[in-house]
Amino acid sequence: MDASQLSIREINSLFTKKELKPSELYSKVFENAANSEAALHAHLTLFEEENIKKAAESDKRFSKDESASLLDGIPIAIKDNINIKNYKTTCSSKMLSNYTSPYDATVIKKLKEHNALFTGKTNLDEFAMGSSTENSAFGLTKNPWNTDYVPGGSSGGSAASVGARSSIAALGSDTGGSIRQPASFCGLVGFKPTYGTVSRFGLVAFASSLDQIGPITKTVDDSRIIFSSISGKDSRDATSVINNQLDIPSDNAATIGVIKELMEDGISDEAKNEVNKVVEILKSKGYKVKEISIPIIKLSISIYYLIAPAECSANLARFDGVRYGLRIDGNTSYEMMENTRAEGFGAEVKRRILLGTYALSAGYYDEYYGKALQARKEMIDEFAETFKDFDYLISPTTPTQAFKSGEKTSNPLEMYMSDLCTIPANLAGLPAISIPTGLSKDELPLGVQVMSKPLSDNSLLDFSEIIENEVQFDGQPKGWL
Amino acid sequence: MSDEFNIKNIAKLASINLSEEEQDSLSNDLSIILEHVNALSDLKLNSQQQEIFIHPLAKELELQDDQVVESLTHHEAISNAPESKDGKFVVPPSME
Repeated sequence: MDASQLSIREINSLFTKKELKPSELYSKVFENAANSEAALHAHLTLFEEENIKKAAESDKRFSKDESASLLDGIPIAIKDNINIKNYKTTCSSKMLSNYTSPYDATVIKKLKEHNALFTGKTNLDEFAMGSSTENSAFGLTKNPWNTDYVPGGSSGGSAASVGARSSIAALGSDTGGSIRQPASFCGLVGFKPTYGTVSRFGLVAFASSLDQIGPITKTVDDSRIIFSSISGKDSRDATSVINNQLDIPSDNAATIGVIKELMEDGISDEAKNEVNKVVEILKSKGYKVKEISIPIIKLSISIYYLIAPAECSANLARFDGVRYGLRIDGNTSYEMMENTRAEGFGAEVKRRILLGTYALSAGYYDEYYGKALQARKEMIDEFAETFKDFDYLISPTTPTQAFKSGEKTSNPLEMYMSDLCTIPANLAGLPAISIPTGLSKDELPLGVQVMSKPLSDNSLLDFSEIIENEVQFDGQPKGWL
Repeated sequence: MSDEFNIKNIAKLASINLSEEEQDSLSNDLSIILEHVNALSDLKLNSQQQEIFIHPLAKELELQDDQVVESLTHHEAISNAPESKDGKFVVPPSME
């Protein structure tokens, strides 16, 4: 039996029955990483030596029947824009290549309280800006299903790590689809919780009103376990909320909407077929499924690419060569800042900072940023109206299967379009999940996305697990174990 | 909506020193993106939203009491500084 293939609950059961030790699993995932890392480059750093002692402590707790958490001894990879004290947090940027975190993010503090083991920091698009992990200053990550293809992004390293079984689960961050899209491209579950349920303290900010931390896992239940461990109000994140979950039906009393605008032009037949397959299954189980039109969804990319860059331009103003990160000298402080930011940021980050600066600049604020805010509010209202009649909304997670490395790098707008289906959940703060459902004719994974109303995360996970059990997708990338 | 912009001026506002080559390629990219986002200009909106930060769960947010909590030490706060002296950040002069 290969324990790295199992779910968290199955692993915990073996630990509890003393049929497997955390240190044995820990060795196994690093063996897997040794087999795949040169080809995939999922991680920027691996922590093997540092955590051997912690794995041994987990061994001891299970041997004495003293373990109290499902995550005790579970090897988890962390996206490198989440701070772990005394480790580097680079955000895959030259700007932070030498930055060592002096504190733990709240999610890390919580995972440590659960005695989870950290396997390493994973590669991402610089400052989480991208959809392919091709914008990293430290090299590309490849898709474990086929290394000619991208793993998605920005949490591509986290998805490749779990895909190649170099970790049992991973944390990512999702601003416009950065958890769900790579999960879909790599045949995994990716869950973006309701905005505010998971603290953002210690996540390097990209677009604060959209960013959320969440899990990338093999199963829906693994995502549920991690979500329940990392969520909760945090006084260090003023936007976090008490996780008072709403109970909505997940059985066939639920009404399902298929979003018309995400089943039209620009969406591949293969992606639509996966949704239709799930719809047929749900209908056969007695669910009411109807098409629903939410016209403002068509403007998602336009709204997002004003709001996210505007917030990014403000958030990334902190990288000025004064308090941390890179410094390139200049004769004056101002020259030093301009030189530092010219050298420290990559092309996509510069593109978004400039776009955001423009959208916020005098004379353009009202027609760009102001208008985008109004449209965003309208979208939130339209979703609220829709959820009066529907419990869950289904769509493809991505318009197509994974694309080839280099295929979209010369056309930023085309790259942005790959987030068409995922962005609405960020704009409206909704919980959303990608569930792997099948393979394309190129033998690459495809996924289906489900969204529900704010704070119905647990019900969404229950409903997703029903889909997961019915679809029975058991594919996995070959050649890494 | 206008899509005319002065890339040098925007770069100055953003404090990024751009090479000539970067100015050209970024101008081109930004024109394409702005043309796309201009789709918003035709939208007739009901909302008069003017708040900068939109929280989907705004009703759930609460003010919290001020509390003294553990924070970074002075040493930790300055530990990543490119240059420091006597516990302070050192920067080049602000004026030549």
